[in-house]
Amino acid sequence: MIRDLSYIDVLYLIAAMRWTLALTVIAFLGGGIVGIVIALLRTANWPPLRWLGALYVHGVQGTPLLAWLFVFFFGLSIFGITVSPWIAAAAAYSIYAGAFLGEIWRGCLQAIAKTQWEAGASLGLSTAQQLRYVIVPQAVRIAIPPTVGFLVQLIKNTSLAAVIGFVELTREGQLTTATTFRPFTVYLIVAALYFALCFPLTRWSRRLEGRLHVAR
Amino acid sequence: MSLVDLSNVVKRFGALTVLDEASLNVEQGEIVAIIGRSGSGKSTLLRCINGLEAIQAGRIVVDGTVVNEPGTDLRALRQRVGIVFQSFNLFPHLSVERNITLAPRVVKHVPNAQARELARVALRKVGLEDKIDAWPDQLSGGQQQRVAIARSLAMSPHLMLFDEITSALDPELVGEVLKVLEEMAREGMTMMLVTHEMGFARRVAHRVVFMHHGKVWEQGPAAQTLAKPNTPELETFLSAVLH
Repeated sequence: MIRDLSYIDVLYLIAAMRWTLALTVIAFLGGGIVGIVIALLRTANWPPLRWLGALYVHGVQGTPLLAWLFVFFFGLSIFGITVSPWIAAAAAYSIYAGAFLGEIWRGCLQAIAKTQWEAGASLGLSTAQQLRYVIVPQAVRIAIPPTVGFLVQLIKNTSLAAVIGFVELTREGQLTTATTFRPFTVYLIVAALYFALCFPLTRWSRRLEGRLHVAR
Repeated sequence: MSLVDLSNVVKRFGALTVLDEASLNVEQGEIVAIIGRSGSGKSTLLRCINGLEAIQAGRIVVDGTVVNEPGTDLRALRQRVGIVFQSFNLFPHLSVERNITLAPRVVKHVPNAQARELARVALRKVGLEDKIDAWPDQLSGGQQQRVAIARSLAMSPHLMLFDEITSALDPELVGEVLKVLEEMAREGMTMMLVTHEMGFARRVAHRVVFMHHGKVWEQGPAAQTLAKPNTPELETFLSAVLH
C-alpha cells in the first residue's frame, strides 16, 4: 500500500539512526580491542608474532565484511549454534574493524623514531613503560586523524548489518521507500542523516589535530 | 676492579664486523675520549656498554654486572649508566621537567614533589634551571643537549657515556655543552666520550683511545698520545682531523 511521505517517516528514519550509532559504537569498541592486540603483534620483536598479526590483517582485509556477517549469523547455525544478530554483528564488525585499526595504529607506533625507544630503554624503562610513557602518547596524536577517518567509514558500513535483520538507517530508508515510493526524497534524507553523523566527527578530528600539535 | 671491563668484544651487523676483539678498561673517576674514523666502531663500542647492542663474542663487565649474559637485568644496569646521544632524543611530548623526572618517577618511584626538586638540581648543573617548564621544541640544540645530560644525571649514574654529543650542534653551541662536561669532570664523574673535539679531548680526558678497524688500536695519556702517536694509523688520522 502506497502512502504519502510525512514527517512521521522522517522521525522513523531519525529513530533508526540509534541502531546505526549502536552498531558503530560496538564495532569501534570491539575493533579497538582487537586493533590494539594486532598493532602490538605487528610491532613485536619476535617474528612469529609479527607473522600472526600479518596473517590476520591480510586475511581480514582480503575478505568482504558482508561475508563475515553471513558466517557468524547464518554459518554458525548450520552447526546448530544460534547466534543473536547483536552477537553476530559484534563479532563480524570487531574482526573487520580490528584489522584496519590495527594497521593504522601499527603505522603510528612505527612512525615514532627508534631513538625514542632507545632513550627510554637507556633510562631503565621497561618495554611496557617505554610504550606507555614515551611511544603511545606520541603515537596517539598522529593516530587521531586516520582513526576518525576510519570511524566515518565504519558508520557508513553499518548499513551492511541490514542483511542480518538490523533495521538501521539505510534499511529503514528502504522500508520507507517501499511504502511511500519516494526514493529520491527518502534517500536524500538518509544521506543527510549520515552526513549529520559524519561531518561533525571530521570537524572534531581536525580541531583535535590542531590542538594536539604533533610536537607535544 | 675496573668500572668498565671489555675483553675481546666482537660485534657483527650481518657480514660486517664492527668490533673485532676490542678490549678496554676504564677505572672509576677516569675520563676516556674515544676517537677514530667514522665506521671504526666507536659508537658501537659505547652502545654495547649499556646493552643497547648485543655482542657476538667476548665479555663486558660494567659496575660489577656482566652485560652480555642472557639473565642480566639490563634495566638495573642502565639506571647506573647514563648515555647521551648525538641527536639528543628528548621526549618531544613532555616538558623539560617531565623529561628529566620520567625515569626517576616511573623506575625509581620518586614522589612527584621530590622529583621536581631532582629536576631542578640536575638543571642547575647544566645551567638551565630557568627552563624547567619549557618544552623541548622551544630550546636551542645546545640547550636540548644540556637537558638530555640533566636527564641522565637525575638518575645519579656511576658512569656516563657520550656518543658524539656535539656533532649535531651548530659550532657556536658546542662550547656550552663542553663546558657542562668539564664541570662534570671536575666533580669526578667517570665518563667515556666518543668525540671529534680533539682540543677538548686533550684538555679534559685522562686517556685517549684510538679505534681502528673495530679494534682498540692505540691508547695512552691524552696529551702525550695526541702529540706523539705510536702508530702510523693514528698519525694519519690526527693529521686528517687537525688540518
